[in-house]
This record gives sequence, C-alpha cells and structure tokens, in this order.
Amino acid sequence: MAKENQILEEITGGEYKYGFSTDIETETAAIGLSEDTIRFISNKKQEPSWMLEARLKAYRYWLTLEEPKHWPHLSYPTINYQDIIYYAAPKKQQQLSSLNEVDPELLRTFEKLGISLEEQKRLSGVQSTIAIDAVIDSVSVKTTFKETLAEKGIIFCSFSEAVQEHPELVKQYMGSMVPYTDNFFAALNAAVFSDGSFCYIPKGVRCPMELSTYFRINTSGTGQFERTLIIADEGSYVSYLEGCTAPMRDENQLHAAVVEIVAQKNAEVKYSTVQNWYPGDKNGKGGIYNFVTKRGICAGDNSKISWTQVETGSAITWKYPSVILKGNNSVGEFYSVAVTNNKQQADTGTKMTHLGKNTRSTIVSKGISAGFSNNSYRGLVRIAKGASNARNHSQCDSLLMSDTCGAHTFPYIEIKDKSAIVEHEATTSKIGEDQLFYCRQRGIDAEKAVALIVNGYCKEVLNQLPMEFAVEAQKLLAVSLEGSVG
Amino acid sequence: MTNIAEKISPGDKLIAELELNQDSLTGSDVIRSTRRNALKSFSKQGLPARKSEEYKYSPVNRLFQKELSFVTASPVSDEKENSFALAGLDASVIRILNGVVHIPVSGFDSATCAAWSLKSLPKEELSFFENHFAHYALPDTDPFIALNTAAFQDVLIIKIADGAALAKPILIQNITDSTHASFTQPRIFIHVGKNASVEIIEQFASTKKEYATVCNAVSEIVVESGAKALFYKLQNDCAGLQLISTTQVYQHHDSHFDTHTVTFSGSWTRNNLNIVPDGEHCETHLNGLFILNEEQHTDNHTLVDHRKPNCESNQLYRGILKNKSTGVFNGKIYVRPDAQKTNAYQSSKNMLLSDDASMYTKPQLEIYADDVKCSHGSSTGQIDEEALFYLRARGISADSARILLMQAFAKDVVNTIRIEPLRKEIELLIEKRLAN
Repeated sequence: MAKENQILEEITGGEYKYGFSTDIETETAAIGLSEDTIRFISNKKQEPSWMLEARLKAYRYWLTLEEPKHWPHLSYPTINYQDIIYYAAPKKQQQLSSLNEVDPELLRTFEKLGISLEEQKRLSGVQSTIAIDAVIDSVSVKTTFKETLAEKGIIFCSFSEAVQEHPELVKQYMGSMVPYTDNFFAALNAAVFSDGSFCYIPKGVRCPMELSTYFRINTSGTGQFERTLIIADEGSYVSYLEGCTAPMRDENQLHAAVVEIVAQKNAEVKYSTVQNWYPGDKNGKGGIYNFVTKRGICAGDNSKISWTQVETGSAITWKYPSVILKGNNSVGEFYSVAVTNNKQQADTGTKMTHLGKNTRSTIVSKGISAGFSNNSYRGLVRIAKGASNARNHSQCDSLLMSDTCGAHTFPYIEIKDKSAIVEHEATTSKIGEDQLFYCRQRGIDAEKAVALIVNGYCKEVLNQLPMEFAVEAQKLLAVSLEGSVG
Repeated sequence: MTNIAEKISPGDKLIAELELNQDSLTGSDVIRSTRRNALKSFSKQGLPARKSEEYKYSPVNRLFQKELSFVTASPVSDEKENSFALAGLDASVIRILNGVVHIPVSGFDSATCAAWSLKSLPKEELSFFENHFAHYALPDTDPFIALNTAAFQDVLIIKIADGAALAKPILIQNITDSTHASFTQPRIFIHVGKNASVEIIEQFASTKKEYATVCNAVSEIVVESGAKALFYKLQNDCAGLQLISTTQVYQHHDSHFDTHTVTFSGSWTRNNLNIVPDGEHCETHLNGLFILNEEQHTDNHTLVDHRKPNCESNQLYRGILKNKSTGVFNGKIYVRPDAQKTNAYQSSKNMLLSDDASMYTKPQLEIYADDVKCSHGSSTGQIDEEALFYLRARGISADSARILLMQAFAKDVVNTIRIEPLRKEIELLIEKRLAN
C-alpha cells in the first residue's frame, strides 16, 4: 500500500512539459476593458462596421451581467476584468505569403510543441495529414493546407479572414448557436474576441483530412478570447481537432472561448479537444482559468455532432459542450475524460436538448481526481414536449485517487415527453483492490497496473479520438496522473 | 389596498406580521431567543428567488399569490378527524390541528414513551428540550425552516425512553383546516432513546379543497445510538393543500433509520428530507413513492450527509405521473473527507404516462473521501411494450395489464413498508388511483 501510494504520488506529480515561454515581439492593447479597447481591436483587424456594432452591443450587454459564481462547484478569487490585456499579437511587418516569412522564433515555438506548420506528414509512424490553424495569443499566425482544401470548396481560415472574405456566412451563423446574451463569458467573448478558426464544408463534401486549431497563450498578463465557427452543409463530414497549451506563469490567465457548430441535413461533425492549458503548480499558483462555451446544433434531419474531450489542464475548467438536437433522427454524443490533480478544479459536462423526433444522445463522462483537486460533472438532458421517441443514455463515472480530492456529479434531467427513454448512471469509487491484485498477481507492477486500469477506465472515450490525438491523450493521461496510484 | 402596499413582497409581509406578533408567541426565554434569531435569518434569506438552485424546479411564488396570514381557523371537530383514520391500524394517535397539538389522555405508556405539547411540557423536561430544539434543523440552511422556527404556535414533543420497544405504532395526524388562506407551521420533535425501537406514521390531511392553505411543517428527529426508527409519511386526503414538509434527522452511531414518503394528493408538495448519520455503522433507508395526476406538483428533495466512516445509505424512489402533473426528484449524497468506507446508493425511476406531464431529476453526488462506493441510477420512460404484450397474449385486457404493470412498478417501494395495515391501505390507494 505504501509503495502504491508512492507510485500514485509520482504519477500525479508529473511536470508540465509546455511551460516555456517564447520571446516574440508582440504588440498589445492597453490594459483594461472599455469601449475604446473594443474599437482598438476592431480597428486593428480592419473590421467592417457591422462587426464593431455587434461587439459593442455585446459589451454593453455584458456590463449588465453578473459573473456566474453561485452555481458552479468552483472557488476562485474574483477576476479583475480591468487587469487583463485583451489583445496581444506577434508583430508582423506585412501580409505573409509563405511560411518563410513567419517569424522563425514562432516556428520554433510550434516545433517545440510538436506541431509542424510546414505542410508535411505529422507524427512519426502515423500516415495522415492534418491541416492546422495556429493561434498564438490573440491572432491566427498560419493556416496550413488552405489551397489543398480550397480545391474541394472547403473554407478553412482564421476568423478575421472569414470576416473579410466571407462576411455573408459569418453574419448568418455567428451567434446563432451561442448568442452574446447566452452567458457572462459568451458576452465577454462576443465583445473582445480576437481571432479563431472558421470552417465551411460545402454540400456533400467529405473533408479529406483532419482540421485542427492549435491555441497557444504566450504573452504575460493577457487573456485569450477566440471564437471558432464550423459549418457543415448538407451531407458533409468533418473531423475537427483542438489543442492548447500555455507557459508556466505565477499569475492566472483568462481564456474565454466560444465554439459554434452547425450540422445541416445528413451532415456529421466530430469535434475533439485535448485541453492542456497550464494547470498551475502543485500549490495551485498560476494556471489558466478556462471558461468556454461550446454548442452545436443538429439543424437538419439525420445530422450528427459528436464532442470528445480530454481535459487535463487549466487551474479552473468551466465548460459544457452542448448539442441542440433539432433535426429529426439527429444524434448527439459527448465523450469526456477530465483529470484534475493538485489544486485543479473542473466543473464540466454537457447539455443535450432534444427537440426533433427520434433523436438520440449518448453521454459518457469519466472523471479522475487526484491530489487536492475537485472534479465535477454537470450535465443537462432536456426532452422537450413533442420530441417523441427521444433516447438518452448517460454514464458518469468518477475515480478517486487520493483521500483529499473530491468527485461530484450534478446531472439535471428534464423530461416533458412521455415516449422518451432516459437513463442515467453514475458511480464513484477508487481503483479496486481486487483489480490491482489481479494485475499484480500476473507480474504487472503497481504503477503499470494503475496505468492499465485507468486507461481501461477511459477507453470508451479515448476510442472516440482520432488516432493522432489518441496517442497524445494516452501519453497526457499518464503524465497527468504520474505517481497517483494507490 | 394602496399601490405602495402592493409592492411589498410576500416575504416582507410575513416578516412584518411576525415582528408584530413576536411577543404573543409561546416559549421560554431560550426558545424566544431562538425564534428571534430565526426571524433574523429569514429576513436575511427571504423566500427562495426564481433562480435559487435549491428551488429551481419548484418556484414558490405561486404559494404566495394569495395573501396568507399566520392566523388560523378554529380546530376542526372530532367527527371530521375520524375520517382520516387508517383501516385496521392499531396505533396511538396524536393530532396536530393547524399547528396546534392535541394529545389524547389515554393511549400512551409513560414508562416507554411520553408525548407533550409545548404548553404541557413538564418543567424538568424543559432543559432537555431546549438542548435539542432547533439544533438540527438549522434556520440558516433553509428559509422555510427559519420561518417555521420563528412562527410555530406549538411543538409536538415525543420522547422514547432508552431501550423501549413500542408495541404500537404512533400515528401523528397533521391536519390543516383550510377554511382560511392561512399559513400553518406545525412543528415536531422526536427523540428516540438509546437502543429503543419505534414506528411512527405522519399523515397529512386537509379538510377542504377550495382554499389554498400553505402548510410549512418541520420535524426534527434524533435517533440515539443503537436505536431503530421507522418513519412513514403519508400524504393523502390533502387535495387542496400546498405543503412544504421538512424532516431533519440526526443519527448517532449504530443507529438505524428507515423512512417512506408516499405522496398521492396535495396540489403542491415539497418534501425536504435531510439525514445526517453522524456516527459509525449507521444504516439509513430512504424510500419514496408518488402517483400524481391533474396538475399536481411534487418535489422530493433528499440529502444524506455522511460524516463518519462505515455507514450505509440507500435511496429508492418511484414515481408515476399522469395528466399535467410535475414530479421532481433531487437527491444528494454528500460524503465528507472522514467518511471512509461509505456505501451510498440511490435509485430514482419514473413513469411518464401523459405528454403533458414533466419529470425533473437531479441525482447529485458530492464526494470527498476516496475509499467509498457510491452510485446513482435514474431512468424515466413508459410502460414496457413487451411486458404489455406478454400479458395481453395471456388474455388480460390492455387496461388491466397496464394497471398490473404500474402496480408492480410501485411494489419496489411498497414491499419495504413494514407495518402491515399501512401497506394494505397504501396498496388499496394505489389501486384506486391507478384505476382513474
């Protein structure tokens, strides 16, 4: 037992690998938030006036809101919204036309993160290509494979570019899933968002490669507010990946993003996240406050949206990727592994809103808490009146790795249609002595046995990830939990 | 009424009325000071707001649409009371009428069990009572506990002696005479002595349907070490009643508490059932059954707060919803850091029989200890078509088959009722309710 505890501690004591910061020349907005800040951002991005208007409207609304602190199972000091830099961008001389013009320091940063901005095969041993939109601080620095994708009619570019080049699509869809009135952080994002990714898959096109956004916070004292919009037109398919890291800093940095997805008739969108923001040190100093609003709508019949997330980073995670099942026969899925260690806090889950007929949703949430952390699942399943034959199955399991951590479940189930069948199951336990014994009896040492059991515990979720991500996620799990087996 | 008066919120009105009446309310100095503190606590909390997480699915504003007064009607006649009797049940009966306790002269064996109203409480028992009263149901935790503690007219005090095993169950009839739009505050305190064993039934009833009376009942139950208490709550014959019923239980080590909450009538019902097993090797069972029709609203809120190691709790709730009824189940299991080796289970299953009915479920786990086994399962659906087919293939009519299946569904809970006449009565009531 003592040895197992030691191994547990070792596993949970893993260091954060991406904690370096890069010295890039950046230009930033003045500290604080006011209408001038918003005008500054809008002006920097040379946005059309409708965009500025939308931002100001959101800002004025945000001023009337209160930070949602009463319901999440989180505790953190009050955030001073006037003490954040809302815009930071690597300085660039002129419009970039090729990769050679990208600041070499920036390229090195991404190389260090294991992300290549050159259009080449990624990850040894895995033969596949991924198109990447790399976002550093407030702006997108490079989008790869744009031309290859354009041949199929796929638009994949930074959000700012989309505002300039495809204003009709942006106007039509932006804010339709997550309006600025949705919540405190969505309103803040709508006012000050700086960049993000935009993606449009035309009718009947199956996107030939994984699309990916890589987010990196670099500059000290800044907040990151990006916005992603994915539109899958009729009969299309896309698999989208999102990754993120940040330097180790003593201060808490704010990340408030919005992701919106539309799936039209027969379309399918698969959105995978490996969230690895800096979680703070062992004593809970520093780390990212991650307040994210993600929502997708299955607008057409037979459409499908699937969220998969592996959450290992951030000091605080507040995130509920949701699906609105509007089209008949549409399908929503949510697969999540959330690991918290040391003093991390996570309040995460999903919302499935069933509106159409014969809609189905599946929720699989696996929480692992270690150290002094608190890990909560909070989810909502709502079956509206008239959503006949809706079906939901939810499973939320929690694994406790220490006697000082907490694991919580807050499922909300609201049913207004008699033909609905909704099931919810949740369990909380620690790793079974018998399971450990079984492994050890077969000559597997305690540490490996725990890794094996945890991996098996998360398998259902990890299996949903695209291959490259699954490899990364498995490694990440091992690092996050290094030493936490008992 | 002037415009200004209309703007005063119902909560403020209640506070004003209570402040006026503070001096006329009963109690010793200690109890008076408890009342005053409770009133302060209520003033601070106010009635639960629309956004209150605890009252999310049961907004209370509809209860206070009519102007309510703490002044109640005169007690109902004996003849009327008898109509609430349970057939075949031999029990010692105590009545609470509009919050005032009526203790019969006979029916209690004083060596094993004593029952008093606040006024009849002997002087030598006062310090015992003061040491317990309002120590478990804390006014700061809920505005309705605060209101009751500030405004109660009387308290039913039951004391079961150490080691006593009561032969007969105790039946508490909590009756509201709803000829006024009044706001009644029945209060009960039960102390189960060491190694004692007792069965208690609390029955809620109201006399009229037309007036929307609100009843805010609070019970505190202390189960001493090694004791065993069975507590049944039957909400029947109270069609027009709007009820907030809080039961606060405190368990000492090696004790056993078993409770059933059965809700058939009542236009709006909120049951707060909070149990604190605060000693090792406690066993706790919470069972609930509701069958709702028309526009009934029933909210079962449970909290099991595990504070010590090696305890076990079990929750089993079943609901059947018809017409435009609304059901809520919000069950919370809380395991504190010290409460290692806790086994806590929760199961909530519901049947929706109408497109206009709604069911809200929120089974919560909050766990701070690692060596525990906790789980909850919840499902909502309708009658299994295959089971229906099985019965119909055997010549049973569709209606009978449906009723049979619903009875079987309710049986999960009914079968755990240990008092035979009560179980039979409830089975009958189920049959009647399902047949409609």
